[in-house]
Amino acid sequence: MRNVLAIAHKEVKAYFDSPIAYVFIGFFALLFGYFFVALLSFFTSQSMQMSMMGAPVNVNQQLITPLFLNTSVVVLFVLPSITMRTYAEEKRSGTIELLLTSPLTDMQIILGKFIGAMTLYAALLAVTVVHIGVLFWKGNPEVLPVLTGYLGLLLMGGCFVSVGLLISSLTKNQIVAAMVTFAVFLLLWVIDWISQFTGPLAQQVLTYLSVTQHLDDFTRGVVDTKHLVYYVSFMAFGLFLTARSVDTERWRG
Amino acid sequence: MIEVQHVTKRYGPVTAVDDISFRVERGEILGFLGPNGAGKTTTMRIITGYMPPTEGRAIVAGFDVLEQPIEAKRRTGYLPETPPLYPDMRVSEYLTFVAKVKGVARSQVKARVDGVMERTRIADVARRQCGQLSKGYRQRVGLAQALLHDPEVLILDEPTAGLDPKQIIETRQLIKALAGDHTIVLSTHILPEVSQTCQRVVIINKGRVVAVDTPENLTARVRGSEAMYLQVDGPGPDVSAALTQVPGVSGVTLNDGAGGPVSVEVTSEDGRDVRRELASAVVSRGWGLLELRPMRLSLEEIFLHLTTEDTTAAEPGVAPPEPPQPGQEEETTHA
Ligand SMILES: Nc1ncnc2c1ncn2[C@@H]1O[C@H](COP(=O)(O)OP(=O)(O)O)[C@@H](O)[C@H]1O
Ligand SMILES: [Mg+2]
Repeated sequence: MRNVLAIAHKEVKAYFDSPIAYVFIGFFALLFGYFFVALLSFFTSQSMQMSMMGAPVNVNQQLITPLFLNTSVVVLFVLPSITMRTYAEEKRSGTIELLLTSPLTDMQIILGKFIGAMTLYAALLAVTVVHIGVLFWKGNPEVLPVLTGYLGLLLMGGCFVSVGLLISSLTKNQIVAAMVTFAVFLLLWVIDWISQFTGPLAQQVLTYLSVTQHLDDFTRGVVDTKHLVYYVSFMAFGLFLTARSVDTERWRG
Repeated sequence: MIEVQHVTKRYGPVTAVDDISFRVERGEILGFLGPNGAGKTTTMRIITGYMPPTEGRAIVAGFDVLEQPIEAKRRTGYLPETPPLYPDMRVSEYLTFVAKVKGVARSQVKARVDGVMERTRIADVARRQCGQLSKGYRQRVGLAQALLHDPEVLILDEPTAGLDPKQIIETRQLIKALAGDHTIVLSTHILPEVSQTCQRVVIINKGRVVAVDTPENLTARVRGSEAMYLQVDGPGPDVSAALTQVPGVSGVTLNDGAGGPVSVEVTSEDGRDVRRELASAVVSRGWGLLELRPMRLSLEEIFLHLTTEDTTAAEPGVAPPEPPQPGQEEETTHA
């Protein structure tokens, strides 16, 4: 465990020693801020109409849920650049020789890198706490859906990070890693769009596979084991495949 | 301490290492000598557990590298060909990270890091970023990294490559100082390197072991073929004839001077020093002796000599004929 944390710490430091982390956090804050303002204006005008008609207004359902769902889109763009360097850069610079000849298992290295990337991701999400805080200050949304929403975003991000690690372990080239990762994320995100044109069974499967479908309930304050199982097994499978990939690369030399 | 047993490594169709076996005893410094592409790095990567062999096995301190990798790696320090540094990390930070990864006990990390920095004389750059260090310092930080967990076995891949002469001497001294409590394998493609530092040499070429011997014996075996190079201002055929008559000379090769001075390579029997006789033979005939010096054998020539010494007295400087290029027959099969 100490080894795992040493690697995680090194990864986080690498992000924050270079401009990467600050660029991402800035970029993320900007995009999230944009969505926040846009959704807030829409919500304000809508709630004025609704209250004139006497309908109840719900901040959670009409503002926070769409905000979280939009955040998942931003994550889609940002995470590939966080995971691209994890393995690719170590392979390019030769430092992979240090890690693979140290008394560590492949899984310890992978977990260290996973925790490192997740820490930066959590730091990105932490930026949004400011915006959500404003809503608590000015309004009175429910706390639970906000907390589960963050949990859902973390789990979804974990899936993306595990895919990103896998793809980074397959190449020496960071840019290739980022582009392929983005393409795969996009596929995982839109995979259910065609589900309405397929048969009922395929529809179920496709909807189940879509990473974002599972986020919806979380943003509404529902933690369903079905979704937890999906996210956790997705992550485990991604990390397992990364371990296979690292081992295969080792045999190939 | 280290046993390499019938190790073969293939990269797809390329056989980088072909059935290599050797042993290194505790406390010994073994030189691993071979030209570029001989398979030195590949063999070292197999011993350190970086990659598995296609066939055969490596045993370090009694642990099979494939079957008990963690135990074997705990006892191995490795300096790869390119020191594995993270450019954005400061030197002390980097060594602290490596210490943790190598499993140095928490309470000892600081002492170990300070200790190896002192030993490899890098304390003055402790606060500098690894990416900004000179080649000499990078190599030393790489060595420091390999020493952190006080391993019994040290595998050093070309530890002096790219260093200036002063740094080379310092590194050699450090390596010698480490011998005794450590078993060391170091690779190089320079012959004097091993004769300076090592007790035993394994010579490999094209993935195969060519010779295993002490540096003294190897030098003696090679000396027999040492040649003299002369540049003479005189008529080529006459020069050649005159030099052949000098007692002790076993072979004369003439390179046409194209009207100008001629170049001659002379080999002597059993490496006898015939420089005086050669000089007087030239001068007494009134020719100008422009140059006379011993020819250093290149490593390739040494290999050629070692591999062919039993059959013929190999003529130095003559490369073996190139194998026929593949690809020509393709045209005929197409037709
Ligand atoms: N990763 C690799 N993939 C394919 N061929 C390789 C790889 N690494 C080394 N080789 C080949 O294996 C042979 C031995 O290389 P190497 O062990 O690096 O030799 P040395 O260290 O003695 O210069 C060379 O012909 C080299 O081209
Ligand atoms: Mg090499």
